[in-house]
Amino acid sequence: MESKQVLNVDALVVGGGIAGLQAAIDLADQNYKVAVVERDASIGGKMIRLSKVFPTLDCSSCITTPKMAAAAHHENITLFTYCDLMSLKRHGNDLTAFITQKPRYVDQDKCIGCRRCEYGCPVYVSDKEQGEFSARKAVYIPFSNAIPQLAIIDVEHCMLCGKCEKVCPTEAIDYFQKPIDFSIRAKTAILATGFELTTVENKPQYGMGKIPNVIDALQMERLLAPHGPYNRVLRPSDGMEPDSIAYVQCAGSRDKSMGISYCSRVCCMYAIKQAMLLSGSLPLADITIYYMDIRAFGKGYEQFYQNAKAMGIEFVKAKVAAIDAGINGSVMVRYEAQDGEGVTMANHDLAVLSLGMIPGWDPEGVCPVSAASDKFIKTVQPKISPTLTDMDGIFTAGTAAGPKDIVDTITEAGAAAMEASKYLVEIHKGHAA
Amino acid sequence: MSSETKTEKQKEKVGVYICYCGGNISDHVDVEAVRDRTEKIPGVAVARTNMFMCSDPGQEMIMEDLKKGIVDRVVVASCAPSLHEMTFRSAISRAGANPYIYEHANIREQVSWVHHGEKATDKALVLVSAASAKAARLKPLEPIRVDVVPRATVIGGGIAGLRAAIDLADRGIEVTLIEKSPFLGGQLSFLDEIAPTRDKAAHLISSLAVRVLNHASITVHSCATMEKFEGYVGNFKLGIKKQPPQPAAYQGKRMHFNMSDMKSGEFIPFAGIYAGPVPSATEEFVIDTGAIVLATGIQSYTPYQGEYGYGEFKEVVTLSDLIRYLAENNTGRSLLEINGRKIKSVAMIHCVGSRQIPGIHPEDTSGHLNEYCSRTCCSATLNAANIIRETCPGTRVYEFYRDIRTYGRGQEELYHQASGNGVVFIRFEAQEAPEISKNSYSDEYPLLVKAKDVLTFGEEVEVPVDLVVLATGMEPNKISEIVDMIKLPVGADRFLLEVHPKLRPVELPVSGIFLAGTCQAPMDVGEACNGAAGAAVKAVALINRGYVELDPFVAEIDIQKCKGSGACVEACLSEGALGLVEMEVDGQKVQRAQVTPAFCLGCGACVAVCPENAVDVNGWTLKQYEAMVDAIVSEEVAS
Repeated sequence: MESKQVLNVDALVVGGGIAGLQAAIDLADQNYKVAVVERDASIGGKMIRLSKVFPTLDCSSCITTPKMAAAAHHENITLFTYCDLMSLKRHGNDLTAFITQKPRYVDQDKCIGCRRCEYGCPVYVSDKEQGEFSARKAVYIPFSNAIPQLAIIDVEHCMLCGKCEKVCPTEAIDYFQKPIDFSIRAKTAILATGFELTTVENKPQYGMGKIPNVIDALQMERLLAPHGPYNRVLRPSDGMEPDSIAYVQCAGSRDKSMGISYCSRVCCMYAIKQAMLLSGSLPLADITIYYMDIRAFGKGYEQFYQNAKAMGIEFVKAKVAAIDAGINGSVMVRYEAQDGEGVTMANHDLAVLSLGMIPGWDPEGVCPVSAASDKFIKTVQPKISPTLTDMDGIFTAGTAAGPKDIVDTITEAGAAAMEASKYLVEIHKGHAA
Repeated sequence: MSSETKTEKQKEKVGVYICYCGGNISDHVDVEAVRDRTEKIPGVAVARTNMFMCSDPGQEMIMEDLKKGIVDRVVVASCAPSLHEMTFRSAISRAGANPYIYEHANIREQVSWVHHGEKATDKALVLVSAASAKAARLKPLEPIRVDVVPRATVIGGGIAGLRAAIDLADRGIEVTLIEKSPFLGGQLSFLDEIAPTRDKAAHLISSLAVRVLNHASITVHSCATMEKFEGYVGNFKLGIKKQPPQPAAYQGKRMHFNMSDMKSGEFIPFAGIYAGPVPSATEEFVIDTGAIVLATGIQSYTPYQGEYGYGEFKEVVTLSDLIRYLAENNTGRSLLEINGRKIKSVAMIHCVGSRQIPGIHPEDTSGHLNEYCSRTCCSATLNAANIIRETCPGTRVYEFYRDIRTYGRGQEELYHQASGNGVVFIRFEAQEAPEISKNSYSDEYPLLVKAKDVLTFGEEVEVPVDLVVLATGMEPNKISEIVDMIKLPVGADRFLLEVHPKLRPVELPVSGIFLAGTCQAPMDVGEACNGAAGAAVKAVALINRGYVELDPFVAEIDIQKCKGSGACVEACLSEGALGLVEMEVDGQKVQRAQVTPAFCLGCGACVAVCPENAVDVNGWTLKQYEAMVDAIVSEEVAS
């Protein structure tokens, strides 16, 4: 057992998604020592889970993996994955973060990522990384381009049969591994804690979880991804290639009935992007996007939207009221048509809910930084210094401070690194004086 | 393995790594077939494939082979080199090898995205074999290391330029700020209360501009423009010209003030922060600078004569006109009053000069359409509507819109407030834009707005109004001189074009030059400041490192062959890159060509003219080209 260790760095980055990685790289390039703490077993955040990204239609991996590799190999960056931030508090000029590294039940110094344990494991578990459309093993590497390439045992499903231990060539399996507590002392911190999808539990009329052919947009990302569950787009209930797909916009945004009144900023564009990708993989399918306002505001976004219209993707101005199960696995979308038809029921083979963003982390009880009324981290100078929080020396970037697309997130991460480096210079001056 | 016998004969051992790119390549190119056929090419020691070569496992694969000595030359066949050439070079460096033993074959943009079926696979193989042939003839090279001038120059004194200047200076870098007008603050100076926070533009600008003017490390040159540009990353030379302000430049902007009364740092409403004494005569000087931040900003779109009645009816104004009226005349009476005229009913029309669609909207005189969304006008318009409704509750407001784009934090609330404030929303389709005409029904309201309202099932509505406000969008400032001088890429939208919106969002292909704010795309104040700080952080990393490493793809003279004809010097496109120097050969004084690597563009103009074949561009030698051509026409590959 390792005793409590303390690591001293200049900057702590909380979150190893695209915002955290970019901020870490921009600080490390200025010769500051940076620690990145990620709660997941791999860095890469939400972006590495996407298929392609708008408006360039670059594959998401092509953009994310090099940044992941750059951070992982940077001499000034130390990555801590599968770690929970227990507390982050200020003591004088220092910030102290207490971290718990969760047990992987695999010795990370011994594991070489050969996957023999994974091949040997007899247990199949529904794979969240693949939208729960396919299975993984109870010991597994999170996904093919994960960093680090370390196996992890899912104790909830492991039967302790011992197969992985037998096949592991480096004796890395350790069923008795315990959590490790350690702390990081830093001068400044950047909160890049990201987002989660809105839950649709408060919106039973959309049928999510009850109607098998109602899926969310991240599940569709997996269906469209190059190494997705089926390598093609099939609907979950019966494996049929859908001929008619509905997108329900603002499912979990701009909806006071769900307690989320804000716009999630990316759903219009990702729905349009998915619709375009779908018209590539299912050229005969009809795709309808039910929307309130199309918010294609970024660079090249409006042109992207107009291209989608020209490709024949149908845009129907309506807030979908309800989704019901139809016959033979179809879904019925109920809405008020604005062409005078009134309340209309439309039949589709598959419905995709364009879910919005909610904060990925709640600072309550962990760090005395404030959240705003939308529960995202509060920024105190949103105009001239958008990455400042209400705590001195703690900055924020990306979707931690409100919904944001990838382009805006990456730029903001650079800005947060700028503020953090200025703060480091400032306190260094204070010490010298 | 059969390849091992081959490698014994060949000196260089080429490793070829072919990427699936998810399905981006493998959907159209039979990657395994390319691998099988590549492995048979003489000189290729090993050919491997990976789902994503750029991922960590992909890079590890290359590094392993290098470390084990299986290969000593590397070819990656994947996307465009602009994306990942550097990724693979640095992987090779990490494996302890020279990064210039690398050649890239683009089989995505040049193959799988444009060809299909067998032909795609065949072309991929041709490109891979050409790259392999070149790779076998690559020599290790050393980068050219040059010192960086520890100064940054920011061009443009708007909010983005101010933000970038402070960030750079606070990190200990000497900064020169160049602003063409006598004022700091840019377009933000022409606004008042900024959506959605209602921060005062004056306050936002002052908080940065005053620090800029007082910062010991920042020199501000107002009334100044960049007239000359030369040099390269870390060592730029900028010719700056300062001129007395041209009164013509301020005509039409309703600027009635006397600059001689102003104090440096004073905020002049609807002009900006006075940056200090203006020059009385033209001055010219040169600045040496290590990095450049472009923050040249935007201008407001000017509606054409007759667009929604603009220029035809005096009651049709732009949103910035309205903002100024509101700031200067808002008396808090029941009705909004403009120039003594009581306004009972206002129509606001969105997307004027934005989201233009070919075939629906007319092109401007230079044949352009603004197809983009200007991003800020929806919130700005709603903000103005709320201010009217809250301060002059007797004035009714009608918003004619296509989509309400209140995307940002706190912006959706503006939309809710506007609905709560009784603002009436009428939604139109782009091809059925509202029409403004003289109101012949009544004298009370001079204008009539006719529209087909999508929200009420396509009902035709007529709204009598006494003011029409056009929410005009953003256009990039006219900076064609700078664009031509530096040879900057400009997008179809006429904004400056970054290298890649996600990989390198604030960088330009000319290394050492960064983008800040709205010269890149429409942005609000917060986004522009983020862009500026993001640009500054890149410039800081560059300057504080103290040196840059330039690619050594420069001309090299073979002194044994050179006879000093001077043809290369004459053909050279870059001043100072090539010259004739006197040297002693076999006891005789002769003239021979000499290259100054830092200035050489690697263009190869000298190679083409040398009568002795004594010049070559490193990394792109004639022998390498010949080998590539031989590989392309080789029957073995074609079959």
